[in-house]
Amino acid sequence: MGLKIPCPNCGPRDHTEFWFGGELRPIEAPDAREDFRRVYLRDNAPGPQRERWYHLYGCRRWLTISRDTTTNRIGD
Amino acid sequence: MSGRLPARPGEAIDRGRPLTIDFEGRRAPAFEGDTVGSALAAAGVTITGRSFKYHRPRGLMCMTGACPNCLMQIDGIPNVRSCTEPVREGMRVERQNAWPSVDRDVHGVLDSFSFMMPPGFYYKVFQRPRWAWSKVEPIIRKQAGLGKVPRTEDHEPREVVNLHADVAVIGGGLAGLAAAAEAAAAGASTVLLEQRREAGGRALGSADDVDRARLVAEAEASGARILLGTAAFGVFDGPVVAAVGGGGLQRIRARHLVFATGAVEQPAVFPNNDLPGVMLSSAVELLVNRFRVLPGRRAVVLTSNQDGYRAARTLRDAGADVFVVDLRAGAGSADGLRVIPGSTILSAKGRRGVTAVSVGAPGSATGQSIPCDLVVLAGFSAPSTNLLAMTGAKLGFDDDAQAFLPVELPPDVHAVGAVAGARTVQGAIAQGRLAGLEAAAAVGQEPPGAAGRMEVLRAQAAERGDPVVLPPEVATGEGKQFACLCMDVTSKELKAAAAEGFDSMELLKRYTTVSMGPCQGKACMLSAQRLCARAAGSSFAETRPTTARPPWTPVELGALAGWRRTPRKETTIHDLHADSGATFMWAGDWRRPHHFATPEQEVEAVRHRVGVIDVSTLGKFRVKGPEAVELLERLYPNRFGDLAVGRVRYGAMLNDEGVILDDGAVCRVGDDEFFVTVTTGNTAALERWITWWLADWRLDVRVLNVTGAFAALNLAGPDSRKVMSVLTDADVSSEAVKYMSASSFEVAGVPSLVLRIGFVGELGYEIHFPSMYGEHVWRAVMEAGRPFGIVPFGLEAQRVLRLEKQHILVGQDTDAESDPFEVGLGWMVKADKPDFLGRRALEDLAEAGPKERLVGFTCDPSWLPPEGASVVHEGVWVGRVTSARRSAAARSVVGLAWVPAGWAEDDTEIEIQFGGAHAKAKVALKPFYDPEGARLRS
Repeated sequence: MGLKIPCPNCGPRDHTEFWFGGELRPIEAPDAREDFRRVYLRDNAPGPQRERWYHLYGCRRWLTISRDTTTNRIGD
Repeated sequence: MSGRLPARPGEAIDRGRPLTIDFEGRRAPAFEGDTVGSALAAAGVTITGRSFKYHRPRGLMCMTGACPNCLMQIDGIPNVRSCTEPVREGMRVERQNAWPSVDRDVHGVLDSFSFMMPPGFYYKVFQRPRWAWSKVEPIIRKQAGLGKVPRTEDHEPREVVNLHADVAVIGGGLAGLAAAAEAAAAGASTVLLEQRREAGGRALGSADDVDRARLVAEAEASGARILLGTAAFGVFDGPVVAAVGGGGLQRIRARHLVFATGAVEQPAVFPNNDLPGVMLSSAVELLVNRFRVLPGRRAVVLTSNQDGYRAARTLRDAGADVFVVDLRAGAGSADGLRVIPGSTILSAKGRRGVTAVSVGAPGSATGQSIPCDLVVLAGFSAPSTNLLAMTGAKLGFDDDAQAFLPVELPPDVHAVGAVAGARTVQGAIAQGRLAGLEAAAAVGQEPPGAAGRMEVLRAQAAERGDPVVLPPEVATGEGKQFACLCMDVTSKELKAAAAEGFDSMELLKRYTTVSMGPCQGKACMLSAQRLCARAAGSSFAETRPTTARPPWTPVELGALAGWRRTPRKETTIHDLHADSGATFMWAGDWRRPHHFATPEQEVEAVRHRVGVIDVSTLGKFRVKGPEAVELLERLYPNRFGDLAVGRVRYGAMLNDEGVILDDGAVCRVGDDEFFVTVTTGNTAALERWITWWLADWRLDVRVLNVTGAFAALNLAGPDSRKVMSVLTDADVSSEAVKYMSASSFEVAGVPSLVLRIGFVGELGYEIHFPSMYGEHVWRAVMEAGRPFGIVPFGLEAQRVLRLEKQHILVGQDTDAESDPFEVGLGWMVKADKPDFLGRRALEDLAEAGPKERLVGFTCDPSWLPPEGASVVHEGVWVGRVTSARRSAAARSVVGLAWVPAGWAEDDTEIEIQFGGAHAKAKVALKPFYDPEGARLRS
């Protein structure tokens, strides 16, 4: 509820300004099998996760952060 | 018992301002400053409600909003805690959960049948036969429960307020006031949240108001922002403290959180400990000292510390006859109170209120009977650690306090006062001051000389007070001994549940519903935990409090819902549409004209003369840069490298599953510049989609959403060229402005981009121009079109027109699984392109071939199948209708439907069914109107 996300354009802002873009995933895959994984499967693992957020009510740009899914701590 | 005691300084009521409340149809007098509970107590009302399950009479117990006994329906709102609800002139107050009345509740006989309702009885009884439960459940639901949910009243919308501060103090008792005063005086921006309408906490009921008055004045002078009547109910990540009060939801973000949430006084467990007249000392002190109501003339006070003696003196000074029953063997009174040492209350007697108690040594079977009309349970408490625990603070058992106290706090979280184990006023105040100073120092606001003061305060803050002596977990006598008043859970039931194997607090809670009622464990956690330990054969210290979850105090759903705000977008031509009498409809966030005259008349005008529709809501992107072509080639399965400047191509974007996301026009307006239109409701999602990929591809191209910057009109119909030639000096002949061209010229004097495309299937021009000229261009078009009989048309007419042409609407005719091959757009997939989104998926799809196809159909106009109607074959569902309209041009109903791929042939007969209605239909793959597109190209 109180998650603050550091936007490189706008500074730290409340997460309610953002759209969650999910886990960072590869943009292409070498073969069909890997592409299936890329398109349909997510790790959804506890711990630090690289993920995308879209600053919908701000600069309308995407940013990538590392967030610990168990503590919501943002950092590297 | 009724009436008021003589006036005294510090009382809460204003005797100069009497008012009247409506109590179940009777007029009850009250004073400004009263709560509903205190006014009813003064009026002699002793039964404030009936219990949840057994319908036993219950009376005021805590006066602090911590227990369920006084929940009432007030001005239609159920479950209002009447003991803390301020009176208002004429307010309607009714007691709950009883028939015909709370005073004479016939369901009280349930009390005698409790043997039929063991813990978890609804899991055990009425399981066989299976039909029994469905008969019995409505009756049980009616018997058990609380107030009536209002069916008609729509509550006022509530604000959501965000507050930011250096320090937030939760709880305005003495410790909290001290913390806020110090932090604010040091220069830190400070917010104090207090759930009651007055600060002071436990000291509010005190006969001597000196400490409280001094600290309230100090906190007010310090500049701290004090929010009274604002109850914190949860702490969330961030951290964010959520509170209700001040007309809505407050979200407080602070760098330091000081928890001064105090402790909740707890009852003792003995037979009939729920009778009206059994009260906590907090209630007695508040009623006598603040509201000047004497709740009983003959009182027995059970205690083991100074709180009890303070309550006893308060009662004695107000004229009551008082016995003190002290659990400590050597107890005595210095000022002449009658004390029975080394004893406890073995049981209470009475039907509609307590009439006597039996007093004796703990564990003994019989004791001396003392007639009384008031029993005061004083000085047993449970620290309110719930909110603190939500921050991740660790709790540990403290032997001296006989309670779970915070032992490990997260950074920037402080705990002061009773919640941190302070049992003396001076210790609590010192803890508060210390935390206030520490928090201020941590945010860079350390006042001069703070170090020395902090040292002194640390020594004072360590003061804890005498070890706590608790009454026995349970007594031996006959009668129900209640652990949980909200849910009517007795010690016997907890014991039985533990014997069945539910022997930890978390399990007991779920099985017996102990602590799950409106009070959320506030008034029962001590009893429940100790009884659980006893039943499980362990010790209090070995049990764990149940996991703390929001909400800690009851929250009206309306406060969480906030303000009902519906975003609403209007085009720059909206007011003119309204002036023309348009009927509007929602299209995503937009308000768009559904029709102006009738859809039939509008369709007729477009097909035979000329019409105009406001399409400013279309999503519009400007794509510009050396790699603009590259971006579009990757986003679309279409090819754009060969699109000449000034030409338009229809394209559809796919996701990487090969599913159609959107369709629209892509116009090349320069070597490295494109103008792209997308569906109205999809604009924001597509902007996210495109920029998502751009972030990874890092192409040298800019994508700008210019939806709001450009207004757009679609001028369509056989006479539209004639209208255009009036509006512009440019050559608009079919040679100069060809079908599928994008040309820049002035329309009505406004620089415009004119696309010759036709969603509605007629010669037409989509005119894009700066949105500030919306009204001007619309007026000019209507003026120029008047000699040709132009009409404005709305969305409904456009839907009929596009359906006659079988132009699909993404999202209406397609869903989250539709690929281009299924909807007849396979032609746009250029498999020889190097790579584009969805390519890999399309390869598989192309190989397998579509299983279903979106096809056109016609059927008899006597019945219009609704969207979503089934396509059936020999009684089996095989597809569905996505769009259907009556078409004058086709003289039938025309529509689009999903059917098995094998049926996608002209004239295949299909059957459509919805509810009881059905119709025969025929597949038609070509558009129903102008199948060759001659009119579009003319």
